[in-house]
Amino acid sequence: MALCDAEKTFVLHGVQDNFRIDGRELDDYRPMELETDVVSHAFGSARLRLANTDVLVAVKIELDVPFPESPQNGKIEFFVDCSANATPEFEGRGGEDLAIAISNTLTTAYSSSLAFDSRKLCLLNGKKCWKLYVDILILECGGNLFDAVSIAVKAALWNTRIPFVKNVNIDGNNIDLDVSDDLCLCERLDIENAPVMVTVCKIGDKCIVDPNAAEEHCSMGSVVVAVSGTKISTIYQTGTGSLHPATLTESLQLGFRVAIRLNEALSKVLSRIRPDEEAGFLK
Amino acid sequence: MPVDHKRINGPEDTVPYSLYTKTNKQSLTEQYEEIRKTGQRTDSRAFSEHRKIFVRTGAVSQAKGSAYIELDNTKVIVSVFDPREIPNRPDYSLKGELYCEFKFAPFSCHKRRLHVQDAEEKQHSAIMKRALESTVCLHEFPNFQVDVYATVLENDGSCLSAAITAAGLALAHAGVPMYDIITSVTMGIQRDTFFVDPTVTEQNICLYPRPSESDTEHGIVVLSKLHTHDQVSQFYQFGNVSLDKLNESISILDETCRELVPIVQKYLVKHVVKNLQRNT
Amino acid sequence: MSKNKELISKIGLRLDGRRANELRRIRCKLGVFTEPDGSAYIEQGLTKVLAAVYGPHEVRGGRSKAQHNSAIINCQFSMAVFSTTERKKRPRGDRKSTELSMHLQQALEAAIKSELYPFCQIDVYVEVLHADGGIYPACVNAATLALIDAGIPLKEYVCACTASLANNDIPMLDISHQEEVLGGPTLTVAALPMSGKIVLMEMSQRFHLDHLDKVLEKALQGCKDIKEILDNAVRLHVTDIGSSTGWANTKH
Repeated sequence: MALCDAEKTFVLHGVQDNFRIDGRELDDYRPMELETDVVSHAFGSARLRLANTDVLVAVKIELDVPFPESPQNGKIEFFVDCSANATPEFEGRGGEDLAIAISNTLTTAYSSSLAFDSRKLCLLNGKKCWKLYVDILILECGGNLFDAVSIAVKAALWNTRIPFVKNVNIDGNNIDLDVSDDLCLCERLDIENAPVMVTVCKIGDKCIVDPNAAEEHCSMGSVVVAVSGTKISTIYQTGTGSLHPATLTESLQLGFRVAIRLNEALSKVLSRIRPDEEAGFLK
Repeated sequence: MPVDHKRINGPEDTVPYSLYTKTNKQSLTEQYEEIRKTGQRTDSRAFSEHRKIFVRTGAVSQAKGSAYIELDNTKVIVSVFDPREIPNRPDYSLKGELYCEFKFAPFSCHKRRLHVQDAEEKQHSAIMKRALESTVCLHEFPNFQVDVYATVLENDGSCLSAAITAAGLALAHAGVPMYDIITSVTMGIQRDTFFVDPTVTEQNICLYPRPSESDTEHGIVVLSKLHTHDQVSQFYQFGNVSLDKLNESISILDETCRELVPIVQKYLVKHVVKNLQRNT
Repeated sequence: MSKNKELISKIGLRLDGRRANELRRIRCKLGVFTEPDGSAYIEQGLTKVLAAVYGPHEVRGGRSKAQHNSAIINCQFSMAVFSTTERKKRPRGDRKSTELSMHLQQALEAAIKSELYPFCQIDVYVEVLHADGGIYPACVNAATLALIDAGIPLKEYVCACTASLANNDIPMLDISHQEEVLGGPTLTVAALPMSGKIVLMEMSQRFHLDHLDKVLEKALQGCKDIKEILDNAVRLHVTDIGSSTGWANTKH
């Protein structure tokens, strides 16, 4: 996206007066649409549309062996794919840096067992565990990817059904799992404390949340705050430019406050989702 | 993952023997309890005390600028190379670019690291780039790129911040125009204990929540600062920490970063004086 | 070849209950995204594909590549890692997706009036969200719709369809993943159905040359059927957009 100086000044002045180009206030979000169960052969999936940012998340589950360092924990892996559909810049390997930044931030945000308890994914201590592949596909980029991805991931994990293991047969080194075919017998994940990320963007002297593409372009750098429950699980800075320590504290405060509000809203929406609602791109 | 056939990669399914010795995760809790009880860290530092720093420039003769840093057992070497045209870039960019590569030497950690960059190293490279970008006058070399390579020779905790401090020094040594001296400090948090400049064991203590009846908090915080302008150029945290604790840690890290500045400054002055003497 | 299972049962039904000359249900939508110049979504049975078109715009990556008499058509095929039952390792870059990108480009080059845009480039990106057989045809059809949504002049619709030969005798249309796996040859045809020209033909496995005519005819018929469906969708979409400007009420 290319903006001329006049356009940048316009965005900047709007932010200064607490009246952004789309009429929002500094700590307002754009409208969101959330659907779950959109990928039929994944164990859980969600699609989030935040204004014109579009993210599709699918969770696949495979059997694996736990890491020798942490025999009691299951595994969770995040993979982000920036589709060229979003912007031609992502063609080939163009989106790789961004994808790695997002997936690493997600990995660290979910790394604490207080945020996401991977011990529940372990089936047999040191021998068998579930591995969750959380695959994120970015279909359209209208700014604020981190937030959109984190919400979609949380919704997809909420939607995930883990197969129920009826019994485990151990015969020497052979381990046989008897997995139930009954779909009603599956287990849900506890995502109460799964982190929600909020990007706080510094424009001029003010901090805003949920920047759109134009605002992201004008920003001198932003702080991604991942909040799990009432604690902060990850902070990651993106963009260039440095911050005064006071601004840093201020933006952390803003991010924290908004994340808690966002998390509440998300839980409310998730509790209202009905299983047979029509979802997909045809709507 | 492409396998490098030119190197000996070692067997695939090996487990470091240290997992079966006494220093594994169970005892980390005990170690922490002991530190809490005695109020003293294993190397008898105070909790807010940084390790002694040793820095040298010019460690790599082929590089334009280089720096070597030691924080006791943490040893990092950083080299900076001449600006070169940004590869594979058709259009002209008004600003220069930094390319950072952070790498653990295969023998630097308890577990052997692979030759290809893994996710953690890529993340560290990105953080390093982020930290250095705001101190380098990028407009001074448009359409050019400066390469910064950091290699950790031995990892005993806080290697990312050591690499950032050393990279600042190496850039200065290479004569890359900069706004300010950059210093960086790591901190580990476990419940109400703040470990400034943690060692590897202390970092491991802070990686996981320790069972406790009260609210548990844990995490690692890395802060990089430009001293004269009083700007935070990079801030990175992970774990599970409350906002108040985080604010507290920022002010402690801020203070420690400031303490490091004279050391780097002194070394740079010494370097300049030496150069002048040699020329006259 | 047909292992114990027959692809078509004695009463003439296929594994998913279709007749031999029946297509799977096609549902599509134009203009799913706002950022690209044109976008489309298509469902053929369970196969789901998103396509986006950017351009015509200046040639990226140096002017040396630009052609003075026509536009460059740049295609990228990619598959979401969760699109298959077994998770894929990489979304693109493997041999199969490079080949499909190339085939897609060949099919589209035949349809786009690229001579109208010298020194330009048109990017077509397709993303498979769910693979259930007939990926390539779905991609071609989605790309056609996206190109129409982007307003790029086409000679005519370019449609693609697969056909196979069941029980060594009966040609059947629009092969699903299940039928692909069970064996049997697959003939993929991309065609300009109005003028009846074939732009791309590909075949896997073998059958006797005598059968080629009838299978090919079946595939071409499939392309024509798909064209009708796509045409309807485009008309509906245009009416939808047009009516919001009030044109539907004006009488001539």
